[in-house]
Amino acid sequence: MLGHRSRGAIASLFSLLSIGCATTADTAAIRDDAEQMVSRSFSAPEPALLKRLNQDEAQRICSKIDHAPLAQDESAEVVKLARASIKYPPSGKLIGNWRHGEQLAHDGAGDRIQSGRLEKRKENGGLCQNCHALEPGDVNVGNVGPGLTRYGVQRGSSEEAAKYTYEKIYNAWAYVPCSNMPRLGANGHLTPEQIADLVAYLVDPQSPLNAK
Amino acid sequence: MSSVRRWLAAFAVAALPCCLAAQTGPDGLALARKMLAEDNPGELWIDRGKDLFFQKRGPRNESLERCDFGLGPGKLEGASVRLPRYFADTDRVQDLESRLLTCMLELQGFKREDLAKTAISPALSNGSDIEALALYVTSRSNGMKMNVTLDHPREREMYEVGRYLFHRRAGQTDFACVTCHGEPDKRIRLQDLVNMTDQKEIQEVVGSWPAYRGSHGVVRTMQWRLSDCFWQMRLPELAYGSDVSIALTTYLHRQGNGAVVHVPGFKR
Amino acid sequence: MSEPMRIRATLQGDVADVRILMRHPMETGLRKDAQGQIVPVHFIQNVTVAHNGKIVLDAQWSQAVSRDPFLGLRVKGAKVGDKITVTWTDSKGDKRMDEASVTGAS
Repeated sequence: MLGHRSRGAIASLFSLLSIGCATTADTAAIRDDAEQMVSRSFSAPEPALLKRLNQDEAQRICSKIDHAPLAQDESAEVVKLARASIKYPPSGKLIGNWRHGEQLAHDGAGDRIQSGRLEKRKENGGLCQNCHALEPGDVNVGNVGPGLTRYGVQRGSSEEAAKYTYEKIYNAWAYVPCSNMPRLGANGHLTPEQIADLVAYLVDPQSPLNAK
Repeated sequence: MSSVRRWLAAFAVAALPCCLAAQTGPDGLALARKMLAEDNPGELWIDRGKDLFFQKRGPRNESLERCDFGLGPGKLEGASVRLPRYFADTDRVQDLESRLLTCMLELQGFKREDLAKTAISPALSNGSDIEALALYVTSRSNGMKMNVTLDHPREREMYEVGRYLFHRRAGQTDFACVTCHGEPDKRIRLQDLVNMTDQKEIQEVVGSWPAYRGSHGVVRTMQWRLSDCFWQMRLPELAYGSDVSIALTTYLHRQGNGAVVHVPGFKR
Repeated sequence: MSEPMRIRATLQGDVADVRILMRHPMETGLRKDAQGQIVPVHFIQNVTVAHNGKIVLDAQWSQAVSRDPFLGLRVKGAKVGDKITVTWTDSKGDKRMDEASVTGAS
């Protein structure tokens, strides 16, 4: 049921909309309505998990409607926040174990909430195969993101390449603000060590991803 | 006896309903899906839904014949293509499923918690009553065009909220609906993604729910489809019949206006 | 206990195109449920199709046939109004029979 205040907002919203132009007041009213609906439309096994619904500053900026473009300053802000978030493994080793990376790259499970339970496994999957082509000959791969087949052959496994690859997986928005790619490290879906293993899977010449 | 049977069996030719030309890859997949859709187990749920609709059930021992889906009590033809819409008796914009809930509560005396808990059946189960009922009511609009109007201010509000939510990025995946459904020719693994910012594409799917989901062996509805997306997005559970679900459905149905309803759909 | 089949039999010339949808879990006995327990085997073992009382198809099925199975066949020498009767028996001894009439081409 709507509260007294919301009904007033909607009445004025309707009269504004019937004139035919959307003002910032309309946008704000819709946003408030929507956020109120979000706060009462979900459940979770623990209250802390409901925080997943809260947007951070970068997500708010990146929620553009109908392919509206990012302003210069918005872009810069998202990149700035992303760069600041990047954490490296304590060991300093950015290229880990490609065998484990291969496993992670093909794993699309982990951390989902269903029927009042949180899907907790030994570790979260990397979700990579959902969107990216990986090893040569893989058929069951998505194309939401660019193909990564023979990534290491193309980019090499230098310190520079490893650092770029690590940062891209940790927080892709440091390079492409509001990218479709999840900020896997910054959001805590993957650990720095897991990301290092994924880097190895991508750049190591022995990795099947770089096979002929 | 068995030789006689074999002789008689020669008069019957067990055949697949289409050509058996060997095909592989995406074309083969499309052909296989087409063949599966031609004889859709979901049709058996229509029969079940019809029985449930006209049966006297619940503590009040009433059928659903007086249920008003927006065109007046018991009027089913053309009702689902107008949903979601505003209902004065509940003072809410409601989709088909939440309206079914309302009627099962008000007319038949069922309890809301009981219905909401079992509305979405487990995969490989016998399916829920609401899944069958939602399919039956929608099937009564088969062949008709999606026609969601936004004349009422609350309908317009739900549409705008739905549009906002469609683009709202959240959770550790940073996904919004538009992240996966905002570009042409995209797929997750081998599942093609509908570009919902393209009118033709969204029209192709909006009239296909409820649908038989092969891998689940039950009929799935729009409420299920939305909750399944939030599951993959690593977000909390979407409540059955919630405002968010209705807002998104309003937005998507309106975007798909003109789509011809053809249920049950068939999904993998 | 089991749910009715849907039988469509459409005449095309003198051949009835028969399409049957059945509701059955067709459990292989290999699947584990959410608790990790094996779901017991339960599948249709035998299907017969009769045309005006005469059996025209007698099929032995195995666990390989999938859930909610579809069966299609063509019966020669059919006429509008002829009876098509489908009977299945499963591994638990359950039985189901449904009937439909052959209709003219639409």
